[in-house]
Amino acid sequence: MAPGAILSHLHRADGSATYTHNGYSIIGAVNGPVEVLRRDEMPEEATVEVNIRPAFGVGGPKERHLESLLHSTLRSIILTRSIPRTLVQITLQVSSLPEEEASTRVNSSLTLLPHLLHTSLLALLSASIPLSTTLTSALIAVPAHKSDPKLAVPLLSPTAANLLRAAPIQSTHVFAFSGDRRLLLNESEGAFSYEEWEEACEMAEESCCKEGGGGVDIGEGMEVDGQQGNLEAWLREVVRRKVGEEQRWRVAT
Amino acid sequence: MATALPPPPALSFPRPIFAALSPHPFLQAHLLSSTKSPLRANGRQPSDFRSLGVNPGSLTHCHGSAVVRSGNTSVVCGVRAEILREEDVAGTGSYGTKSTSEQDNDDNMDDEADDDEDDAEEIADLRLLVPNLELSTGSTPLNLPGTAPSAAAQTLITRLHALLLATRLVRAADLRIAHTPRVNAEDPDTTPLRTVKGYWVLYIDVFFISLDGNAFDAAWLAMLAALGGTRLPRAFWDEELEMVLCDDDVALARGLRLRGLPVPSTFAVFEGRAEDEDVGDGARNWVLSDPDAFEEAVCRETVTVVVDRGGVVRKIEKSGGGVVGREGMRDCVERSIGRWGVWEEVLRKA
Repeated sequence: MAPGAILSHLHRADGSATYTHNGYSIIGAVNGPVEVLRRDEMPEEATVEVNIRPAFGVGGPKERHLESLLHSTLRSIILTRSIPRTLVQITLQVSSLPEEEASTRVNSSLTLLPHLLHTSLLALLSASIPLSTTLTSALIAVPAHKSDPKLAVPLLSPTAANLLRAAPIQSTHVFAFSGDRRLLLNESEGAFSYEEWEEACEMAEESCCKEGGGGVDIGEGMEVDGQQGNLEAWLREVVRRKVGEEQRWRVAT
Repeated sequence: MATALPPPPALSFPRPIFAALSPHPFLQAHLLSSTKSPLRANGRQPSDFRSLGVNPGSLTHCHGSAVVRSGNTSVVCGVRAEILREEDVAGTGSYGTKSTSEQDNDDNMDDEADDDEDDAEEIADLRLLVPNLELSTGSTPLNLPGTAPSAAAQTLITRLHALLLATRLVRAADLRIAHTPRVNAEDPDTTPLRTVKGYWVLYIDVFFISLDGNAFDAAWLAMLAALGGTRLPRAFWDEELEMVLCDDDVALARGLRLRGLPVPSTFAVFEGRAEDEDVGDGARNWVLSDPDAFEEAVCRETVTVVVDRGGVVRKIEKSGGGVVGREGMRDCVERSIGRWGVWEEVLRKA
């Protein structure tokens, strides 16, 4: 299943996006560039502020941790130096989680992180904040294999039900890649060797970044046999639709 | 003229003013000064860590404690154990059934005996490990006293807690307070079942006296040293009083049998800027081990690798930029494996 995305549906925010994937649904809103508090003002670059609200209850230390991860990642792709002394405020509200989420025994911040990254990027795109590159992210889970760890098949972007079925999970990895294939963020947990990590990293890169020498429009054909589409292609398709909608007035009826 | 002219103002800044005014060029100038062995502003090579000092058992009112120093970062950690009674446990007491086959912990001191027991769920759900972190007033200029814990402190607590749970450092078997009745009340002929009457909850408080970068590694070292020295008194269920009592006898107190020795190493990535924007290609990057506060302020990308016994990687955290890729990570993992030996020695000697 390719993720679903609705852009610019909140009218009061400068940019907004709702992202749905594997039972996760997150609403993101971006305001910016707006005036910044004197205390947070930086003379040469923009201040980025990320607020995450969980699906239920109020945010705690777990949300602060996710916010700091998102903050450092987004700050590296937003062209903060081109909009100095301003504030870019990103608010993300988790609106629904898959039912099996609590029982998978996998660190829930890791399973949520790719979705938060995608939502914030879509909201930033919708708000037309200057970005240096795009970002795609994927979750990899390696199930434990009793007899031979080499036989374990890593799962790419597993759903909560998949994780539950594959339990126990040996290691979980979240990777985020920029448009030019640089590794922007990585959170890995469990027990693994460097080689296993590298394998997971390659797998994520393949799914996140477009194939070498791309540029072919595979927007419609990306879900052949219900396979996981390429996330870069998906992102391009979302942006193409957004631009198409914005250019409607120019297209002769 | 009789009066001498005042000396002309110097054209160069003294070192501390240069560092305060333009920290980025300051560090880059240091790293570029020698091509063979670049030195950082603090005199270390990029791959050098700071030396560690561990002083365990410094607090008398804790069950376990340690004072740890790494460069100018010094941390106190105290472990305080409190009893969680079984009737106060929320939900069902389904975890206790697992321990029925197990003999008393005292005669089961073999480290590998219940190594595979999956008790992560039990510890996580009952919240038997409660880490907390506090930055003391004046420990770092970034910390404003008298306010709620900063986002950085909360992030640190979350990371420490996640690492405690993910590495399954503490065994639930050590924290259970179990009881085997003399006779089975329901059927006097069969052997009575062992039941869990309570748990030890470990409150792990980390207090930063001074913070000069790399808070995570220092806090974790303090926690490891404190948990390693923690001794819990023998607790037992008294059938007559129907409550958990603790034994006075120090000789009967037990230590915790920790699983493995996860060692984190933090790296900061310093992105050099080309001196001439047009040339572009002159920019170089350095991966600095164990950054201090000055370097942390200049670097944006950080990598933390946690390595356990035998070179098994337990956790990788990387965010903030795209310099360290797959090859860079191999280097970081290798440096961390080298660092593991240092920690092991320091903790063994402590």
